[in-house]
Amino acid sequence: MKKLLAIALTIAMIFSMAACGNSGSEEGAEGGANPITVVSREDGSGTRGAFVELMGIMVDDVDQTTQSAEITQSTSVAMTTVAGNEKAIGYISLGSLDDSVKALKVDGVEPSVDTIKAGQYAVSRPFEVVTGDALTDLAADFISYIMSAEGQAIIAEEGYITIDDNAPAYEQKSDLSGKIVLAGSTSVSPVMLVLADAYKAIYSGVEIEVQQTGSGAGITSTIEKACDIGMSSRALKPEELEQGLTETTIAMDGIAVIVNKANTAENLTSEQIRQIFTGEVTDWSEVQ
Amino acid sequence: MNPVQYLKNHPFSFFLRMLVYVSAAITVTVLVFLIGYILYKGVPNLTLPGIFDWKFTSQNMSMTPAIINTVLMTALSLLMAVPIGVFAAIYLVEYSKKGNKLVKLIRVTAETLSGIPSIVYGLFGFIVFVITLGWSYTLLSGAITLSIMILPLIMRTTEEALMAVPDSYREGSFGLGAGRLRTVFRIIVPSAMPGILSGIILAIGRIVGESAALIFTAGTNPVVPGSVFSSVSTLSVHMYALMTEGLYVDQAYAVAVVLLAVVVLINALSAALARKLTKK
Amino acid sequence: MRKIIELIMKIVFLLSACISVLAVAVICYFLFSEGLPAIAEIGPGNFLGGTLWKPLEGLFGILPMIIGSIYVTAGAILIGVPIGLLCAIFMAKFCPAKLYRFLKPAIDLLAGIPSIVYGFFGLVVIVPVMQVLTGTSGKGVLTASIMLGIMILPTIISVSESSLRAVPESYYEGSLALGATHERSVFFAVLPAAKSGIMAGIILGIGRAIGETMAVVMIAGNQPVIPSSITSGVRTLTANIVMEMGYATGLHREALIATAVVLFVFILIINVSFSLLKRRND
Repeated sequence: MKKLLAIALTIAMIFSMAACGNSGSEEGAEGGANPITVVSREDGSGTRGAFVELMGIMVDDVDQTTQSAEITQSTSVAMTTVAGNEKAIGYISLGSLDDSVKALKVDGVEPSVDTIKAGQYAVSRPFEVVTGDALTDLAADFISYIMSAEGQAIIAEEGYITIDDNAPAYEQKSDLSGKIVLAGSTSVSPVMLVLADAYKAIYSGVEIEVQQTGSGAGITSTIEKACDIGMSSRALKPEELEQGLTETTIAMDGIAVIVNKANTAENLTSEQIRQIFTGEVTDWSEVQ
Repeated sequence: MNPVQYLKNHPFSFFLRMLVYVSAAITVTVLVFLIGYILYKGVPNLTLPGIFDWKFTSQNMSMTPAIINTVLMTALSLLMAVPIGVFAAIYLVEYSKKGNKLVKLIRVTAETLSGIPSIVYGLFGFIVFVITLGWSYTLLSGAITLSIMILPLIMRTTEEALMAVPDSYREGSFGLGAGRLRTVFRIIVPSAMPGILSGIILAIGRIVGESAALIFTAGTNPVVPGSVFSSVSTLSVHMYALMTEGLYVDQAYAVAVVLLAVVVLINALSAALARKLTKK
Repeated sequence: MRKIIELIMKIVFLLSACISVLAVAVICYFLFSEGLPAIAEIGPGNFLGGTLWKPLEGLFGILPMIIGSIYVTAGAILIGVPIGLLCAIFMAKFCPAKLYRFLKPAIDLLAGIPSIVYGFFGLVVIVPVMQVLTGTSGKGVLTASIMLGIMILPTIISVSESSLRAVPESYYEGSLALGATHERSVFFAVLPAAKSGIMAGIILGIGRAIGETMAVVMIAGNQPVIPSSITSGVRTLTANIVMEMGYATGLHREALIATAVVLFVFILIINVSFSLLKRRND
């Protein structure tokens, strides 16, 4: 036991010394450079999928994002990371953007609902609902509500981009009741909760469950009939469509490229963003 | 003896004492920092409009249903895991013979279970209950998954507590003519109660704080369930769901404070219970 | 009659004890039946030895994650075990009763704080501090180790403390009577006697550190590359699962279940080596 204790203590000391030593040397190596911390999302995330596609980071179906990019698994962690790191650059859903970080202009265009609608801001992706062949009447009616003028108005109010500005008004059915289970994308969930509330306000007998499990899990659950409607923040892949799924685009969402508020950069070209995320450019001085 | 003299006379002992004090100080500092951080970030948000409303809507992001769900989830998981865990420990300590092959197997599997990460439990629950049995995301899927997860914790702490009961208690009880069962329930389990309860407290802590195993089994539906086959989100999962998109971070911190309060409450209750039992 | 009840209860106890065996069997069956075919399809060498994880391109090498998990867990043990054990000694043998009444519930509270809260705490407090100290982005092996070291503290403290308290008072008194100081008696008479309980606590701690997901994923950086120093980013096996499970389909999803299988085998190896160690000590 004595020996064990001695070993434990020695290791603890070595570790703490190593930590100190290391920190010293790293500080020395830093120099005057201003290296970029690239913050990305996980492989297969709807947001990442759309981002790499649009920015030309995806070449021949191969995602060229630099291996040294930090990977965050949610929008809020990406935002908090960028908010706390002056050298960081990341990207998030436009609907989640707040003033803790700074959104960059891309090719001189500011990200906003208007610029996306006008087709000037190119970094946007679809929000989809996914249905299988066993769609219930109730679930089908809920989707028709989302696509109606009322549903699209809610989507616009929540800061997302509507698909159809001239959608027909929703026709209220006499009496609907039952339960709808939705599962999937965490990006789509917030707006879906609002839509569900509005729908439940019309029909008191309707129950709606919204599961935030991620796009892929939502699609899989729809195939396996664990839910009525899947939610996805990316377009379906051909092999998913082969399984008898149908996708309906309910809204569009922009992707904002974000940096720390202390960062002096205001505008990047899409080419510069591509170079940063592929690791060709690793220092802020190269893009300013 | 004053410290200086103590250092002179017993330098090694003094060093050991300092080591112990420094470690305790580090632990307390971390604790104060962490709790201070949660309170600082969360308390101002407890007054957000509607955050304690009975019904969850996309406007108020109420956590009341999540609180009820947490209680239900904890109760249901404990209901399954505690009897099994305690009985299993009783078998291991009071009934089994030393060196029995089965006992060895049970110990090894229990140790294995205790080492399995919660995300693996989550995956397992997802494959078995949600997909294979087709229950979808439900309270029951979550509770069974969690009860398997906390089973080894309860087994191990109960076992330690039972083993700590002096053999003289057993001998005394047998000597007075009591049977094995009577001895176990009247003498041994009561004296081991504080240990068993501390295991249950640890288990409750794990349930309340668990998120990785629940997201894929019980889902993220923040409403009060109609039955055990409804999807629920506990406070932790609710907090995770609120945080993911960065839209409701304030509400998430408020949930953290409530979570902290819930844990304090549970711990205080169990401690009071343990005191009462040991007095008798 | 009494005999029958005795017998019935004995069987009930036995069956309860067998449930853990059953649970492990069922978990093994489901994980392995979904994970092993994926490993076979990818090729065991490519899967375990591959250094590239690019699921969308069909590259499933989890070596960086295996090494990442080992680094981070080892770091957490180096930080958490000495502090936790010494703190347990403090609580069992040095602590004034008044302080204890506050400290004990506080430590139980530490155990109850959800990992997401730890994660956000780490992200907002520890990561910026590490940025200043190391000049890197602040996320990495060291940060994750510190975070996990803190997270396993309550487990190690409470298990060690109760096993220290379970040591008969006579050990301590005997040592004092032989002229040893309070500290020496505690460290060299009581502590060795509580060894098996403390070991159990450490195993639980390792389990928690390896298995921790939600906190690590926020502060480790998650780059799927083998870390080159203790300040560079790291992805653990658990982080790999939780980050991609939500989106994964097809072979990608099976590869993640296979990752869980690897994690599971990992735990088995740890348990077996610990029980071997224990048997040799006994």
